[in-house]
Amino acid sequence: MSSGRIHNNVRKLRFNSSEMTQQELAEKVGVTRQTVIAIEGDKYSPSLEVAFRIAHAFGVPLEEVFQYEASDA
Amino acid sequence: MDLSYQEKSILGTLLATVVVYGYYFTSALRHAGEFDAGSIGRFIFAVIAIVVIQIVYHIVLALESKPEPKDERDILIECKAYRNAYFSLATGAFLVISCVIMAVLMHDATPARIIVTPFLIVNLVLLFMVLAELVKYLSQLFYYRRGLR
Repeated sequence: MSSGRIHNNVRKLRFNSSEMTQQELAEKVGVTRQTVIAIEGDKYSPSLEVAFRIAHAFGVPLEEVFQYEASDA
Repeated sequence: MDLSYQEKSILGTLLATVVVYGYYFTSALRHAGEFDAGSIGRFIFAVIAIVVIQIVYHIVLALESKPEPKDERDILIECKAYRNAYFSLATGAFLVISCVIMAVLMHDATPARIIVTPFLIVNLVLLFMVLAELVKYLSQLFYYRRGLR
């Protein structure tokens, strides 16, 4: 079975969205600021619903926020 | 170290559990024997103490830092921590059951009759329940720091 990692551009997209703060994004998405920090640091992969809400908050498609990098284990 | 509201809450609960039950079990060891008013009194004191400490600590914590509702990450971390705690509790239950079975099988042997008393069984069960709680809190702190990958 192959395993992989999910990377994201949340920090870059935040910066490009008028330097949106982590707290502002957290409030838009409905999670805590700690969860936004964990997502940005690749320490947590959010649920599909939260991932869509993040993409919606930035007004971009999901694949522009999250990328899946497959690697054979 | 920057701790979130949830981490501070767990850390406080963990310390309160260690201090209060540490006192209880040290005291239970000193007064090991059959159940009496003193042993039941010490247990009731421990339960009340932990509730009071928790209430006071969480009031202070709420005044000092803004309480945050749990989100999906907090709930996932809690679920993983409960899984670890379950294995600890199941291991403890197995050990207590083994202890009782051994005592029944060797009921004629004097040492077993003396050692395996209702006082010991109750305190062992309580000890494994507390240890399972500690495993839960430590697991939560670990997953908050390491992350869920």
